[in-house]
Amino acid sequence: MGFTETPRTAQAGTVESMDCLVTISASGERRQIEISGGGVSRFRAAMEQKINQVLDGLGSSENIAISVQDNGAVDTVLGARVEAAYLRFRGVIDA
Amino acid sequence: MTLNAVNRDIPSNIEGYGNTGEKLFAGAFARNPEGCRASARIRSRGPNDGGKFLGSVREAIAASGLKSGMTISFHHHLRNGDFIVNQVLDECARAGIRDLTIFPTALFGVHKAMLPHIQSGVVRRIMGSVNGPVGQLVSLGGLEAPVVLRSHGGRPRAVIAGDVRIDVAFIAAPTADIGGNVSGRAGKSACGSLGYAFTDAEYADCVVALTDNLQHYPIAPISIPGIYVDFVVQVGSIGDPSGIVSGTTRVTRDPLRLLIARYASKLIEASPYFKDGLSFQTGAGGIPLAVTAFMKDAMKRRNVRGGFGLGGITGYFVELLKEGILKKLMDVQSFDREAVESISSDPRHIEISADWYANPWNCGAAVNQLDVVILGATEVDTDFNANVNTESDGALLHGIGGHQDTAAGAKLTIIAQPLLRGRIPCVVDRVHTVTTPGEVVDAIVTEFGVTVNPRRQNLIDACKEAKGKDAVPLVPLDELAERARRMSGPMTPVRQGDRVVGVVEWRDGTVIDVVRQIFPENISS
Amino acid sequence: MRRTMLYLPGNNPNMLLRGHLFGADGLILDLEDAVSRSEKGPSRILVREILKHRDFDRCEITVRINGLDTEFWRDDLASVVPYGIHGIRVPKVETPQALKDIDDALSALESMSSVPVGATKVFCLLETALGIWNAYDIARASARVTAIIPGGEDLAADLRTSRSKDGTELDWARRMMVIAARAAGVDALDTAFPRIGDEEGLRRETEFAKQLGFDGKSVIHPNQIPIVHEIYDPTEAEIEKAKKIVQAATDAAAKGLGAVSVDGRMVDLPVVRRAEYTLERAGVITGRGR
Repeated sequence: MGFTETPRTAQAGTVESMDCLVTISASGERRQIEISGGGVSRFRAAMEQKINQVLDGLGSSENIAISVQDNGAVDTVLGARVEAAYLRFRGVIDA
Repeated sequence: MTLNAVNRDIPSNIEGYGNTGEKLFAGAFARNPEGCRASARIRSRGPNDGGKFLGSVREAIAASGLKSGMTISFHHHLRNGDFIVNQVLDECARAGIRDLTIFPTALFGVHKAMLPHIQSGVVRRIMGSVNGPVGQLVSLGGLEAPVVLRSHGGRPRAVIAGDVRIDVAFIAAPTADIGGNVSGRAGKSACGSLGYAFTDAEYADCVVALTDNLQHYPIAPISIPGIYVDFVVQVGSIGDPSGIVSGTTRVTRDPLRLLIARYASKLIEASPYFKDGLSFQTGAGGIPLAVTAFMKDAMKRRNVRGGFGLGGITGYFVELLKEGILKKLMDVQSFDREAVESISSDPRHIEISADWYANPWNCGAAVNQLDVVILGATEVDTDFNANVNTESDGALLHGIGGHQDTAAGAKLTIIAQPLLRGRIPCVVDRVHTVTTPGEVVDAIVTEFGVTVNPRRQNLIDACKEAKGKDAVPLVPLDELAERARRMSGPMTPVRQGDRVVGVVEWRDGTVIDVVRQIFPENISS
Repeated sequence: MRRTMLYLPGNNPNMLLRGHLFGADGLILDLEDAVSRSEKGPSRILVREILKHRDFDRCEITVRINGLDTEFWRDDLASVVPYGIHGIRVPKVETPQALKDIDDALSALESMSSVPVGATKVFCLLETALGIWNAYDIARASARVTAIIPGGEDLAADLRTSRSKDGTELDWARRMMVIAARAAGVDALDTAFPRIGDEEGLRRETEFAKQLGFDGKSVIHPNQIPIVHEIYDPTEAEIEKAKKIVQAATDAAAKGLGAVSVDGRMVDLPVVRRAEYTLERAGVITGRGR
């Protein structure tokens, strides 16, 4: 409780069916994306595009690593989880 | 490369399988048998020839004359509790036997123990379903010869027609006597029906029964008579009972599955087959079992008396028999304790062989008498072709089971499946692998409603006539496919190599599709 | 028609995406009790994204926001109102003043988006003794109010009792709710039945609520929907009789007759109204709009 500085790691989402768990942490490089789980074999490209689109829309330019543990999230859900994780990372919403 | 009747490119020669020229799938009922049945070596055992009894698997392998390069068969009635496949392969390895073709009626997760035998060359080839780590290995090209997949009816057909010759059949026997009579009904490893083992017993050159419940001669009742059985082996345990039969099968509470089951039930109720004598097969999956529950209500409500239940039998079917909603059960495989108990005690619960159940090349298999079957599929395409063999990443992970046979035989074939599994759509433009051609699939039922094959105008009309509470929510295929596309978004195609790692035979022995090698980065974890 | 309105937990993508398939007349995307305090932010984002891309067929879409005594409710409204939902469900409404605050906040959000001012309706949850006491005034406090709903657990606690199997403690509140709703011209919707596996209990409670005059019931599990519908749906005989009555009334009006007679019996206006309502519920005629 009572953190005022930006946390080094933030998470949003779950590993329940049709959800995903998104973890964002500070990184040495700009925006590394790592995806594992159900959607990888057929949706990696679509998922990376969605993640970039959401982070660009939020004006993110930090060096962060985004890790997605997917259990069948559609784009709508993935986008919401990435946004929530990023806003938590920035301390905009409660962690 | 030539296209078969479902527009699949089939190489004219497949290394490790042979020429496909004469054997391209040409239509569900296009190929007819010629000539005579194959036969097994004649053996005799007279009164002075000594007993059949042997004390170990090792002795049995020696006595059977099994040598490198031969074909051995197994049945899968012990499912994930089976000890026999692994025991036999371990002993073969110890005896220095190599290059075996194994010809199981199905393999389960427990058989991943054969991985080292594949890598060391004891197992050269698999003709039968693969799954789990063995399926992954095969999909990545880890086996030289392609896996050959046959349906429950296609497999006995291949044996009887001489496509496959079995050198030694190893039959796990929950109960056997010293004369080689075998039954699945009793013993600590009881599994009920032994339906998948019958044809192998008749057509193998040598038959070895392995039991952990040896009885005096003769046992009763007898499933496979000792006249076919060369040796009886007593082993410590043929299987783990908890993996052989499941506990009581309960109808799902999952609302999505119940919704799909409710729609499927409405379709059946609206169809012309919902009348006295109605016969059906629903298996043990969540959705099919719930369909059975809804149909039971509907049959009671509308006073319809059913005929027979077919296929893999669950306690739920047994309940229908006891309540008089079904008159007979024809059981090729008993799934749970209630089914094992029932087949052992109720003469209306009939044990049938896979040949009798589903072979297209006999004088009439039970599937031909079937009104309705509820099936699943990993994918269905806009031609109604169904894929049950490969997963979305292209990995070969499932057998055909009775899918092809019941679809071809039943008057109403329903594939009931959620439109999306996670993000992965089950309705696509083109299935990765064709297991069952669209010409024998009548309807797809998803959480969005009922989609009837346009070939079945009579069924569409019947659905439209149902009104009020019985109304069937019809969804055109285009709309369903569009919905799936919209929800899941664009999919990257599966990257696959040229090498054929699996051959999918249609039940008549023609090649309906091939499965090609995939690469490690494709695989969903 | 509001026979059933299904609660969907605001942090559960599976239910939010699939909830509309189960045939409920309405959906309640829940940002309040179904969401823990730390998940309020992510849930608000998830619900907003799902509303943006929604594909809910014919369901009436509402969102249950957090109470006016929390710091969340204004953010909740801002996240969902611009996407043109049918209504919001407001917990723990106690006074007409609460409706004024909600009304102002909604109008401000509507006028900043493409949603017509006044389009977002309000469903009031009356979960305290004071709320129940003020039911009529609350229902009349804003033209946005479209339904009032008695509380369950919270109301029982406020009454210093607990929920019993037969619902004695909520009996009076339920009766009061129907009277206030009818007097104010809004719907009376019953509280949810909490025991998911107890189909008989649900059946009994729904039959009771229907008999009191409730227009429908909130549900917390898809498997409750067919049971409630079965009770609310008119039987074939009821539909046939209603058709006859409405036809007779139409004929009488065409001939300029005041009195309506069906099967030799005089039928008065309330009976015609009820017949129309029966046909509306059966989907034979469309509703008069709300």
